[in-house]
Amino acid sequence: MKVLPLDKLREALNIMANDAEVYVPMLRDDISGYFQWADNPADELALDLLNTYLSPKNVVIPQTEPMYKFKTSKQDVEITEVQVREGARIIFGIKACDLKALENLDMAFLTMGFEDEYYKARRQDLTIIAQACYKPGPACFCEGMGADRINPAADVLIHELENQDYAWEAKTSRGEELTAKIAALMEERDVTLPQAEPQSRKVDMTGVSEKLAEMFEHPVWDDLSSRCMNCGICTYVCPSCYCFDIQVSNRGEAGNRFRCWDSCMYREYTMMAGGHNPRDYKKERYRNRFLHKLQFFNERYGANLCTGCGRCVILCPNGVNIIEVIEKVKEVKLDA
Amino acid sequence: MHDHNHECSCKDHGQTNPLVPTMVKVQKIVDETSDVKTFYVVGENGIPFKVMPGQLAMVSHVAIGEGMFSVSWQDDDHLQFAIKRVGLLTDALHEIEVGQTLGVRGPYGNGFPVEECKGKDMLFIGGGIGLAPLRSFIKYCFKHREDYGKIQIIYGARSYDDLCFKRELFEEWPQVPNCEVYTTIDNAEDQWAGNVGFCPAYLEEINPSPQGRIAVTCGPPIMIKFVLQALEKMGYTDEQVITTLEMRMKCGIGKCGRCNIGSEYICLDGPVFNLAQLKKLPPEW
Amino acid sequence: MNDFTNKAREIAKRLLADGTVSVVLGWEKGDEPYASAPTAITELAEVDRLIIDEYCIHEIAALLTDYRDGTDKVAIFAKGCDVRGIIRMIQDRVIPRERLHIIGINCPGMKDPNEYARAASGFGKAPAAEIAAKCQVCQNPNPFIYDEIIGDLQKVEPSNERFASVEEIEKMTPDERYNFFAQELSKCIRCYACRNACVACNCRTCIFDESKPQWVGRSTDTVNNMLYHIIRATHVAGRCVECGECERVCPVGIPLMLLNRKLVKDVDELFGPYQAGLSLEDDAIPPLSRYRVDDPDEFM
Repeated sequence: MKVLPLDKLREALNIMANDAEVYVPMLRDDISGYFQWADNPADELALDLLNTYLSPKNVVIPQTEPMYKFKTSKQDVEITEVQVREGARIIFGIKACDLKALENLDMAFLTMGFEDEYYKARRQDLTIIAQACYKPGPACFCEGMGADRINPAADVLIHELENQDYAWEAKTSRGEELTAKIAALMEERDVTLPQAEPQSRKVDMTGVSEKLAEMFEHPVWDDLSSRCMNCGICTYVCPSCYCFDIQVSNRGEAGNRFRCWDSCMYREYTMMAGGHNPRDYKKERYRNRFLHKLQFFNERYGANLCTGCGRCVILCPNGVNIIEVIEKVKEVKLDA
Repeated sequence: MHDHNHECSCKDHGQTNPLVPTMVKVQKIVDETSDVKTFYVVGENGIPFKVMPGQLAMVSHVAIGEGMFSVSWQDDDHLQFAIKRVGLLTDALHEIEVGQTLGVRGPYGNGFPVEECKGKDMLFIGGGIGLAPLRSFIKYCFKHREDYGKIQIIYGARSYDDLCFKRELFEEWPQVPNCEVYTTIDNAEDQWAGNVGFCPAYLEEINPSPQGRIAVTCGPPIMIKFVLQALEKMGYTDEQVITTLEMRMKCGIGKCGRCNIGSEYICLDGPVFNLAQLKKLPPEW
Repeated sequence: MNDFTNKAREIAKRLLADGTVSVVLGWEKGDEPYASAPTAITELAEVDRLIIDEYCIHEIAALLTDYRDGTDKVAIFAKGCDVRGIIRMIQDRVIPRERLHIIGINCPGMKDPNEYARAASGFGKAPAAEIAAKCQVCQNPNPFIYDEIIGDLQKVEPSNERFASVEEIEKMTPDERYNFFAQELSKCIRCYACRNACVACNCRTCIFDESKPQWVGRSTDTVNNMLYHIIRATHVAGRCVECGECERVCPVGIPLMLLNRKLVKDVDELFGPYQAGLSLEDDAIPPLSRYRVDDPDEFM
């Protein structure tokens, strides 16, 4: 099997970055995320981490993304530039959970009526180098959400070997092309792939979506939501939460319309001009988030909008835990 | 490091990108009430896009913001938007003058079931600015008068001043064959000789039979709630009752997330629902 | 702390059973040893979910905003820091003292469940501290306003570290200071966890949720991130009870207490001596919430 030695990794990333934006798991002040590779001394590679606190969704939906520029003068307005960002991108080391989340994003942005041009431009020339996940963590439950953590569908699949070198398998023609560019750094070796350790968190989603459809007005939501403080951490670190706001900024005659992540946890999200808010209370916002993930997205796209990455479980300051929510929902006895 | 980002400004992107508006000029502004104006907008080559009654469009005062409005009428060469002053964007829109460039994008949403209603008697019940979306259907019925039976319009507002489209209400629509217009205001006024009271009560008083009739209602949520109750009491089935829903919207294309009720997006699957469909949705409307 | 849990359940049962309160704010256990989480118990049958252990670090008084519109009485378990938070809520007219039944907990210092969750996660490399950093320098472990109390009085180790990091910042040149904060605040993802965890952030409608006008842009750039944090820090100046929750809950590790402590120090020096949330007496109203003829006015 082809092997990319660890000491050749930076060089490989540099070659890839010659003609693409390359996003790699990196650590900055103990905050890990998929940041763009620039081979700065400050870029601390974090491929040895299980995963990153910040999800890789910024590769296809940056938190703040310009949409178009315009110019105003007296009564006139002219759109001067539509800022669609095409171009080659590579995501290096993505795990099965986040890859499955990317499938969710594809469904949301590219199907059911309209295609989102901003998303499509960033997505269409994206090469995916996935890393097989042999050692899941205490918050991981991707298997319950249907992910194949050892063999996710990607252009290239890499396996971290015992000595931290990477076994390298090109899986698609796009993956072959990329592999050819760094072939000189690779070695051909007999390798033993690691043994997969079992995932301790078991989640069985059978019937959950259907049951939730009967539970909109169930009092369990009051209880579950009582600990939530309605911040946006869960939605912003989630690899599959994709809701956004459209905003404008002006400087003199020049203006810029942009979009930015938004959160269903925020009161303003559904606040209408005039003051009416259909989700005025935290229970309503909390409920909408979990129903969107576990019921509504299922009804619309046929998949859960949760892929078991565990980020919200790890990072919620008040202990809201989607695995517990699923268990509580299953425990609820509905009147026949 | 090289920057290989292709920052694209080709015309194509703007034209196929559903989030980028088309520029239109304001051709005419009509003061409907002290806080409602109708804006007539026209594109470079006439109408910017075709809409069906009840469909929505995103109107942007580009430097201020965008808002979703129902198109209150589409004429051969322009679109009309009746807009009530309620917030930041609508304040700004109310300040503009004829000749102002605005952006529009759309059309969005399903619109009224104009085909399914053919051959039926039509009952429209509107409150306040809620007449704006109904007006597109009412005028459509008038335009295709032979396709629809008797047309009854019940319309209420807080006061005489708050009644929109007065010339049409009092002069034009009553002249249309087989059409009755009933207006009501919440409290008595000196110059007002018509009905005083809320729409749902007036509706029950007029009591149009459900036989062969479709009821379409739009107005403030509290009015809709009581109109739906009244219609049920009068014997209308859930399939005979149609209304439109309102939620905050940003994208209009079912992506940004906020306008969902259950798994339905109001911008795509709505805003028009019959009562049978509504009853399947979570009670968040 | 096992007997804390038993006592807490006894007390909660009594208060719910005799109708003294309609809800009890406390903690319950999640599915990891470190996962303690705030909860609101309303049913007698659910009282046995309550626990008090060494991971109950959350400033539970922040949840009181959920009950501001009611008339029922609320029981709240409160560490020393929580009592300061409760005073904040009372002084800011979120909830009156009469609607609260405060069960004080003499607090030995807590572990940060988030730190433990992160340390166990494999998503970062930082270890978890045996006692959370903010608790190590705590000057108020013992509740001083309560209706009943659990645990033995804790000894307070006097600490003069309160303003040590502020003094470091004050020594910087303006450019250094700007660059330092620009770097730190550029990490902000605008999740508003710092605001929502804060007992002083109890406005019904927050300025950052206003859209008419919109005071601060929603884009995550240094300018708007700075505007957000500086406005927030200034708004809680004189009202911040130094619970450190903003910094603890921040998912990207911004040292927010530096900003807050600088303002605590300024208020103390200019209008003080003053510390927020230590007394319910009339003269303990935050200095920036009242006027005195001898207030400093050199800037005018």
